[in-house]
Amino acid sequence: MVMGVTMAENAKTDINNRARPVEKFNFFQDQRVRSIFYQLITLSIVGWLGWYLFTNTSENLAARGMSTGFSFLGSVAGFDTDFKLVEYTPGIGTYGDIFIIGALNTLFISFLAIIVSTFFGFILGVMRLSNNWLVSKVTLAYIEIFRNIPLLIQIVFWYIGVFSLLPVVRKTIDISFGSEMLLLNNRGLYMATPVYGELFWVTAIAAVVAVVAVFIMRRKAHKTQDESGEQTPILLRSLLILIALPGIAFVLTGAPLSWDMPVLEGFNFVGGTTLPPSFLALLLALSIYHSAQMAESVRAGILSVSRGQHDAAMAIGLKPGRVMALVIIPQAMPAIVPPMISQWMNTVKNSSLAIAIGYADIVSLFMQTGLNQAGHAVEMVGMTMAFYMFISLSISWLLNIYNKRVQLVER
Amino acid sequence: MAIITLNKTPTRPAPLSETSMLGWMRRSLFSSWFNGALTIFTLYIVYITLQGVYVWGFADATLVADNRRACYDYSLTGACWAGVIDWMDNIFYGRYPREEIWRIDLGGLLLILWMAPLWMRKVKGKIWIGVTVVTFYPFLAGYLFAGGDKGLFMQLMVAAALVALPANVINMLIGLFKEQSLGQVLQSLVAKFSEDEKVQRNLMLALVALSLVIAFVFQSQWQEVAVSWTKWGGLFLTLAIAGIGIACSLPGGIILALGRRSKLPIIRILSTGFIEIFRSVPLITVLFMATTMFPLFMPEGFVLNKLTQVIIAVCLFNACYMAETVRGGLQAIPKGQYEGAHTIGLGYWGTMGFVIMPQALKYMIPNIVGSFIGLLKDTTLVSIIGLFDILGMLRSISRDVPWLGLHKEPLIFGAIVFFIICFSMSKYSRHLEAKLETGNKK
Repeated sequence: MVMGVTMAENAKTDINNRARPVEKFNFFQDQRVRSIFYQLITLSIVGWLGWYLFTNTSENLAARGMSTGFSFLGSVAGFDTDFKLVEYTPGIGTYGDIFIIGALNTLFISFLAIIVSTFFGFILGVMRLSNNWLVSKVTLAYIEIFRNIPLLIQIVFWYIGVFSLLPVVRKTIDISFGSEMLLLNNRGLYMATPVYGELFWVTAIAAVVAVVAVFIMRRKAHKTQDESGEQTPILLRSLLILIALPGIAFVLTGAPLSWDMPVLEGFNFVGGTTLPPSFLALLLALSIYHSAQMAESVRAGILSVSRGQHDAAMAIGLKPGRVMALVIIPQAMPAIVPPMISQWMNTVKNSSLAIAIGYADIVSLFMQTGLNQAGHAVEMVGMTMAFYMFISLSISWLLNIYNKRVQLVER
Repeated sequence: MAIITLNKTPTRPAPLSETSMLGWMRRSLFSSWFNGALTIFTLYIVYITLQGVYVWGFADATLVADNRRACYDYSLTGACWAGVIDWMDNIFYGRYPREEIWRIDLGGLLLILWMAPLWMRKVKGKIWIGVTVVTFYPFLAGYLFAGGDKGLFMQLMVAAALVALPANVINMLIGLFKEQSLGQVLQSLVAKFSEDEKVQRNLMLALVALSLVIAFVFQSQWQEVAVSWTKWGGLFLTLAIAGIGIACSLPGGIILALGRRSKLPIIRILSTGFIEIFRSVPLITVLFMATTMFPLFMPEGFVLNKLTQVIIAVCLFNACYMAETVRGGLQAIPKGQYEGAHTIGLGYWGTMGFVIMPQALKYMIPNIVGSFIGLLKDTTLVSIIGLFDILGMLRSISRDVPWLGLHKEPLIFGAIVFFIICFSMSKYSRHLEAKLETGNKK
């Protein structure tokens, strides 16, 4: 292909050379000279600007007696954070640790928000196209309301208006129907965490075996259907395997699982895992806002499948739900996935609004608190931006892989 | 055997099940038992929600009270709108001096007056209206809002705006009554004086110069009290930042998009890199960059105020998004347009300026409106770095002594304001899209 293009270009320049009348050679009328000239001008302006900013910055830093370089990452950070996924003690941990904690927190909340909002985005997108008039209009109202209100207002509202106004610790609400495993109050959500016993790995292996078995069974059933047209009902059987196999293993090894329960001690709960209100508010707001955005791309994708596909699927006797699942959605996917992935990217970027409510993501922990303490503005802002660029590059790499696969299938 | 009827069977009306309200309900609400259950369930949810909103927001709400305690005395379950109403001026104008608020209103009215002809079918010369509003209005409005002493550049721009504004109004009137543009009328007037084209052109130039001089003299008499940018706030500040952001991101975006599609590799790489860097990071990091790094970038003794820093950041950030919008518009132009333009001998800038851009821009208008909505919503972020935009104002209500702790009502009021603005604009952009779509198919 590349060769073909160059050959065509060669042929074109050949014709151009032959067809061009003999004229006086004018240096600045020559296209190549002009293109090099323009590029040199641009390059020198950009280079000069970069150099100017660089010298200004280094002069300013020198005048204020500030050091540069990344050595500050090894120095000890003296502040704590209320939410971290790795071990960290203030006074011992370094700014490097702070960066990692912030980055992990950003990735953690974006990951959860992406899963929740993609799931609800699909449901809302399909509901929006429901032939039930009321359902469709209510979904439309949901989408339009939450799409048109700035995310920041929503985040602040959920944080100050809802999660901070929850009952105090003494009047904690139990949202797990009396089992006291999920407790909600104005300090956050307290969850019981599982503690695995000695022989728990047997159950885990049994679960993996069950999943593999179900997978193999599904493929077999598909194959039989492709070859003979006979359908084998496997739903009940696979459910049975999925529940029974790990269940039996669990009981036989003597139920090696206990729960670390949150218990009220003094003025607060101890034990289990705590999710701070800022985390809950941010997760809720991101999920609501982005599910509304994603619902729009799902809707557009489904509408891009031509009406004939729907009619034909109905004509061969599929039920409406199967038409959606087997005919429409698979064909809509190539139109849904690219905007969906760019919405994922937006979710990651928007999680930076955590700074407004103090969830310890990379922006609020590293770029704000850290910067206030250590004061390496250029390095810290640069590192944060580089982090986001890295995420963005990875996500667009994913998108490229998907696009290539879709194109191959089309051929 | 054949049956031949000479009389046509009259068409029967559609069956009642298709036309009646009940038939419609059966089809679209109760087509199956599942659908019926869904309808009833949804109705129940809608009822619960609306009832809750009604009781909290209307029935039990307090509209007039002196402080939050008085609200509570009236009702514990209702909203306390009194706090929002008490702060209404602050929410819209920030801490702008109360006796000067007319300047903001006047600025808004002038913008409406300036832009309104764009929607009138009979008015001609719309490109000039668009160009003048982007180039001159910001300076006029800027002086109106900020006041104080004008520099020479500012004086020139204000004078130009003072010429462009009446010209625009006259143009609108001429358009409405005679369906001609101001330029055409002036030309025919000038043609009565002399046949010679050179004389005509000189006469026109003299006319423009004369009006510029008059405007310059006039504006040098015009002096407003200076209002520091620290007093700007509320919805006014939000709209101002978003407006400036969109006005400078448009040319910036066009340049970047052209650079990205350029055949010259260095220019292409630089533009692509610039666009992708800013598109891959969140706005808040760019705002932080502006407030923490810009002071380091500047030479000694040169201090930008925070508002300027924020505006520069918003412009840079938004120009990159605008560049992608413009690129999308350029890609939609068929190749034949480029080839046609080359054939009649236009160079690169001629092709872009006279053939490609006018077409592409027309199809980009819905997307530009869309990115304005996005920018407007994003502008709330400036409250994080300490500017008192509408969100900053709404949040400070809860810190005001009489309304201490009043969080929900202001935020909901802000949400309603944004919803009204953004929803109507997005409706309009969809309407435009539909209009342009059919225009294309014809």
